[in-house]
Amino acid sequence: MQSKTSFFNMALFKKNISRTWIAGLLYFILLMLMLPVSFIINTAHSEDDWMAEMGYTMEMRLYEHMAYQPTASIAIVVAIVVTGVTFWYLFNRRDNYMMHAFPVGRKSLYFTGLLSSFVVAIVPVLLVSIFLTIAAAISGASGLGCIWYWALIVIVSTCLFMSVAMFSLMTTGQIVTAIIFYFIFNFLYILMEIAFRITASLLMFGMSAALNGINYKIWTPIFFIGNKIKVISNVQTDEMGNRVIGFTHEFIGGKYLAIYAVAAVVIFLVSYLMYSRKKLETVLDFIAVPFMKPIFSVGMSFFISMVAGAYVAGMIEAVKPLRYNARYAIAIVSAIIIGIIIYYATQMLIEKTLRVFRLKNLVHACIYSLAALVVLLGMRFDVVKIENKIPNAKDIAWAGISDHYEMVFTNPDEIEQVRKLHQNFLEDKKELRDVSVIYPDTDSTRYSIRYKLKNGDIIIRDYTVVDTEAPEVSPEYVAATQPILDFINEPSRIKEHVIGNTWNTGEITQMTFSVYKYNDNILDYEYQANSFDELSTNEKKEKYGRVYKALLKDVDEGKVFVQKFNGHDGYEYDEEALYNDFDFTITDKEHPYFSDTEHFWDYADDYFNSYPRYEQNITVSLNKNCDNTLKALKDEGFYESDDDILTYEEYDSQTGGDGGEPIHLYND
Amino acid sequence: MIEVNNVTKKFGDFVALDDLNMNVPKGAIYGLVGPNGAGKSTIIRHLCGVYKQDAGQVLIDGQSVYENEALKQRYTIIPDDIFYFTQANTLDMMKFYKNMYPRFDETLFKKIMDCFPAINPKKMVRTLSKGMQKQVAFMLSIAARPELMILDEPVDGLDPVMRRQIWSLIMSDVAENGLTVLVSSHNLRELEDVCDHVGIMNNGKILIERSLDELQTSITKVQIAFEGEMPALPPEIKVLKKITNGRVHTLIVKGEPRAAEHAIGQMNPLLMDILPLTLEEIFIYELGGENYAVKDIIF
Repeated sequence: MQSKTSFFNMALFKKNISRTWIAGLLYFILLMLMLPVSFIINTAHSEDDWMAEMGYTMEMRLYEHMAYQPTASIAIVVAIVVTGVTFWYLFNRRDNYMMHAFPVGRKSLYFTGLLSSFVVAIVPVLLVSIFLTIAAAISGASGLGCIWYWALIVIVSTCLFMSVAMFSLMTTGQIVTAIIFYFIFNFLYILMEIAFRITASLLMFGMSAALNGINYKIWTPIFFIGNKIKVISNVQTDEMGNRVIGFTHEFIGGKYLAIYAVAAVVIFLVSYLMYSRKKLETVLDFIAVPFMKPIFSVGMSFFISMVAGAYVAGMIEAVKPLRYNARYAIAIVSAIIIGIIIYYATQMLIEKTLRVFRLKNLVHACIYSLAALVVLLGMRFDVVKIENKIPNAKDIAWAGISDHYEMVFTNPDEIEQVRKLHQNFLEDKKELRDVSVIYPDTDSTRYSIRYKLKNGDIIIRDYTVVDTEAPEVSPEYVAATQPILDFINEPSRIKEHVIGNTWNTGEITQMTFSVYKYNDNILDYEYQANSFDELSTNEKKEKYGRVYKALLKDVDEGKVFVQKFNGHDGYEYDEEALYNDFDFTITDKEHPYFSDTEHFWDYADDYFNSYPRYEQNITVSLNKNCDNTLKALKDEGFYESDDDILTYEEYDSQTGGDGGEPIHLYND
Repeated sequence: MIEVNNVTKKFGDFVALDDLNMNVPKGAIYGLVGPNGAGKSTIIRHLCGVYKQDAGQVLIDGQSVYENEALKQRYTIIPDDIFYFTQANTLDMMKFYKNMYPRFDETLFKKIMDCFPAINPKKMVRTLSKGMQKQVAFMLSIAARPELMILDEPVDGLDPVMRRQIWSLIMSDVAENGLTVLVSSHNLRELEDVCDHVGIMNNGKILIERSLDELQTSITKVQIAFEGEMPALPPEIKVLKKITNGRVHTLIVKGEPRAAEHAIGQMNPLLMDILPLTLEEIFIYELGGENYAVKDIIF
């Protein structure tokens, strides 16, 4: 007759606590320093410090304090330390056998161990939250809920990471391997995504920037919790940042916490099932659970070899340009060879012997090879539509194109136009994806298309293209690429996206045009720019406005901000490009400036870029054809003589930069 | 008390226990002997509920051992390599055992402690010598008032005086409380002194399982001498080993001494002596037939 066993054993609980309390105490001290002590120090002079002068209330200070406290990053460490110490006996033959020989069932061992781990990891959080609540209440802060929302996030994170830790501890018979597995499991999704992205970036057409734009998903809680589950505090200040003008706060991610809590319970139960069925003779085994052995060895072989195969193809391509199909063939063969080597190596690790060349393992190795072949061929033929992916218009928040300048389109018509251009570009991929082999000597560059989706994801495609004006380029190639240039070189689009959305509403508040003149006193070329200090502000604005008007005329005539698909990025190789610098600041106090560049590169949500800006500096790469602008600059006194206008070539020949004799002496 | 029925245990391809049967009567002191790798520790781990058998039954008092908390509260184990919690002293371990074993007798524990004055109860057990750690294990185990005690190489590391003291404590518990003891050891001389039942294991099987008296009467050592050549032995005498030294022949024969004496006596030897066999000799001769290398036995 089998006896009933309980979930809890007090003797065991006390023993567990006696071994882990020191970790709990250190955690408590750390949290005390980070939360109440730090808060008390920061608010010690809250009546006359700089924050008080700005108008911060105690509530704002408390929210600001809690908004930046770590959550998942501390929980992930505490969880493995506490559970690892509690279940240490699983990784030592003597302790393992003796603990299981005591009159206590695995159910009691597991759940008592879990409870004692919870106590050690969670009591410090609760105590610290109580102390901080008291400290904040005494200092007169309202909004104490933010302390407890933080505590809730940390507690749920701790539970989740503890469940992953338990799963890892049950998977192996070695403590070091358990810790490694713990981190692998926590980062598994992002690691797999990165492996696919690296492979895609090396093999797939247009995917070279695939490692950018990774959006942390719920499957990687360590990053997701930090980004999506937190206390939000938003203190708005005036334009100069001197005065608080508003305050909003929010607790975000509650529903995800609930999901993580449920996931933790499920993983705890799965781990318990693994423990209840675990054969104790597997102590010190690399993998203690039979079903995990093929998953581990095949999984490791698959992901490592896929990336390694792609790297081999990439390395060969760095030496000699490869056609698209040749690149895939090399990657597939390399991946299979490397994968089989890794498979047998992991098998040796698991079985603790070199004698692993058996039929069963050969079958697993063949399964791996087949999987690698299927996935890489699937990538080659774009079975899941990655290369050819153009998102649905309704899902797109904005679409952007970057050649020399970044342009971001939020208008549905323009988004649709970008989609169609992209579609047209992809239709004749055969020639496009082999440009480096077909046109090895033609001037080339890379351009990017990005889609920011409404769900936060970013799709980035990056293509190598060659100069459409080169004589050797085929008409089919031009037909596929020229429409993109025509689209981005449309004058109204240049004004809206290169100068910016305030191009016709703002005023020009600053303008600089530089000339480089030889100065006999210092025997060197000297940068000079007329700052018109003798003029009033309004007079300056009028002067700048007139030049700006001429610049817009040049834009309309297609003489400036024109982009091409050739290797230069603006000036150095363009014979007409001017060495003279020209920039201006456009200001519109009514309309915030929309930065295409910051949106395109996804900096717009950064802390420093999230504040509205009302002015923007624009740098213009002028060329000799910009006659309207150059005339206006001369008329308005920015330069005096036509000799002051220099192309790069002219500047180089004057200074000896082209290898010839300089026309002036230099001061050495 | 202990019933092991057709138990098989494999570790990968290696068969550690091969359809093993074992029976330990209640109140017996059962000595489990066998060479290294015979499977002694493996069967003990099954009896402790650490391992789960692939096939067969492991029963104590008619109940399955595996994951049976209530049953495990009725017996204690002293393994070869004893486990103590880090930083726990003897008194801490006593408290732990007290919470684990409902019949733990604290008064008895203190009484036994008086027998081991060298042990400082407030010193961490892990810092004590191996012999002292073993003494603590016996103190804890006996004070738990078990019905069954399972001992794996129990007196290794103890000095002769301490061995005697420990065995005397166990024997008195056997006598007073009917304690059953299963003891695995290489020290056959010691087992011979304390055991009343013996099981000999090899290659994952119990080869012989008998009371010590039965075992000692199942093999006989006979020294004989004849006038001339030794005549052919009658077919009912099975000789395990024969050594000839001049005209004196030493025979190890299977079977009861009186039967051997009667059968050989009819051959009219000049000289015939029937000598008793030690457990050590029985062990060697029994396993000799199992291709067991005698040199591996360390006495």
